[in-house]
Amino acid sequence: MSGRRALRAVLVDLSGTLHIEDTAVAGAQEALSRLRQAAVAVRFVTNTTKECKRNLLERLRRLNFDLQEEEIFTSLSAARRLVEQNHQRPLLLVEDSALEDFAGLDTSNPNAVVVGLAPQHFNYQTLNTAFRLVLEGAPLVAVHKARYYQRGDGLALGPGPFVAALEYASGRSAVVVGKPQETFFTQVLSELGCSPGEAVMIGDDARDDVGGAQNAGMRGILVRTGKYRAGDESRISPGPYLTCDSFPDAVDHLLKDHLL
Amino acid sequence: MADSSWTSSAESLKGVILDLCGVLYDSGEDGGTPIPGSVEAVKRLKASDLKLRFCTNETQASRDKFVAKLQKMGFDISVCEVFSPAPAAVAVLKDRGMRPHLLVYDGLLSEFESVDQTNPNCVVVGDAAGKFTYENLNDAFRVLIGLEKPVLFALGKGRYYKEADGLSLDVGPYMKALEYACDVEAEVIGKPSSAFFHSVLSDMGLQPHQVMMVGDDLVNDVGGAQLCGMKGLQVRTGKYRPGPSPVWPGSGRGAEEMGSRGRWAMC
Repeated sequence: MSGRRALRAVLVDLSGTLHIEDTAVAGAQEALSRLRQAAVAVRFVTNTTKECKRNLLERLRRLNFDLQEEEIFTSLSAARRLVEQNHQRPLLLVEDSALEDFAGLDTSNPNAVVVGLAPQHFNYQTLNTAFRLVLEGAPLVAVHKARYYQRGDGLALGPGPFVAALEYASGRSAVVVGKPQETFFTQVLSELGCSPGEAVMIGDDARDDVGGAQNAGMRGILVRTGKYRAGDESRISPGPYLTCDSFPDAVDHLLKDHLL
Repeated sequence: MADSSWTSSAESLKGVILDLCGVLYDSGEDGGTPIPGSVEAVKRLKASDLKLRFCTNETQASRDKFVAKLQKMGFDISVCEVFSPAPAAVAVLKDRGMRPHLLVYDGLLSEFESVDQTNPNCVVVGDAAGKFTYENLNDAFRVLIGLEKPVLFALGKGRYYKEADGLSLDVGPYMKALEYACDVEAEVIGKPSSAFFHSVLSDMGLQPHQVMMVGDDLVNDVGGAQLCGMKGLQVRTGKYRPGPSPVWPGSGRGAEEMGSRGRWAMC
C-alpha cells in the first residue's frame, strides 16, 4: 500500500452501493455514520435522470441514511452546472419529476438542449424542435447516454439512442455530463474545492463509477454489491485501487488506512 | 456554375434520374407544393431523347398515392417510372425469408401487404414521422434486442428533409437510435445504396456513366449516385443548405451546383 495521502472527499454511488431498490445494503447506514466522524466531505453521486434530489433524499432517509439534500450530486446537477457556467437557456427534455433540479434557470428562447430520460418528450414534434435548435448551433448536453434500462414491463430505451439520433441529424456532438465522463467528477469536486488526488469514489459499476473516477485522477473502490459481477475488476484498466465486499468494508479500509 | 467538362459529359448522357422531394416539390402539411419551373422542366426532359426515371426515398406514402399527388400538381409521371425503397425492401425480405416488424408511416403499410409479418425476425424502419413515438420505437427496439441475430433494415438513411415549416427529422436519426440501442448496423434499402441505384439503371438499360442523378441531398442523392459511377447534380432547393459541405469520400467529378430552381444544364 502506498504511503498515506490526505483524503478530503469521499464520493459514494447510491443504487447498488448504499441500497438495492428499497433495501439498504447491510450495515451501510452505520458505516456512513462512522465515515462522517472523520474529517472528510461526503457526496452522494448518481446518474439518475428521472428523479430530482428531493425524491432521492426521501428514499434514502426512509432507509435510515443520514444525509442532506445538498450532499447529493446527480447527472442532472452536472447538466445544470454546465448550462449555468455557459450562461445558456436550455430546452429541457427531462421528466417533470426532474425539472425541480433546474428551477431558477431561464428557459425562454432556448439556446441549448439538455437531454435526460424523458419518454414523454421523445416524440416526433419535440425532437424536431430540439434538432432544429442544435442544427443552428445550440449545444447539446446529454445527461448520460445509457442505451436502455429495466422498466417494470421490460427493457426500455434510455436517453442514449435519442442523443445519437440528434447527433446524427445535426452533425454535432453532445457533451455528456453523467458518469463515467470526467466532467461529472470534476464538477462535483470543484463544488467541494478539492483536487482529484484528494478524493476517492466508492461504487458498484466498474466502468462508470471506478473507471470514470480513476480516469479523472481519483482513486476508485469497487464494491461487490448491486450490478457487480465476478471479474468486473479486470474489465477496467488500470484496475480498481481496491475491490471489497461492500460499502461498510470500503469505509473500514478508508478509516484504517487514510483517515485515522 | 457549369465548367467546361460539361460539354463532354452532356454528349455521353443518355438518361436522367430525378429525386422528387426537394427537387420537383417541397413537402408540407397540404401535401406539398411544386418548386417553380419543375413541371415544365420534366416536360422538356420527357420531350428530349433522354430516358427518365424518378428515384425517391419517400416512405410516408405508397407509390400509387404519391404519384397521384404529383400528377395532381401537374407532373407527367407514372408509377412504373418511380423507384422507391418499400418495393425494394419487399423484394429483399422475400428473398431472404425475413418477417418484418414494421416501424413505418401508416400510408406505407399497403406496400407490405404481401409480406408475412407474423413472428418477426427483423425490423424495418421508414420515415414514420408522427408515428415515431417513444412507445413505437420501444416496441421496435424490443423486437430487435430479443433476437439472437438482430437485423435492422432502414428505408434510406437521410438526416432530415424540408417541410413547409422548416427542417424535419428523416428516417436516418431513428435508424441511428435503434442502431445505438441494440449495437447493430442497419442495412440501408433505398438511396444511397448502390444496389438501389443499380436496379434503376438496369431498368433503364443504361451504364452508370451515361446517367445523371439530380438531387438536393449531397450525400444520399449526389454522393450515392457518384459512388456508382453516375454523374451527380445538386440543386439548391429543398434541403440544400449553403456552407461547407460534409466531407464525402470517393467523389469523382464533384457535384455541380445549379443556380435557379427547376432548370438543369441539359434542358
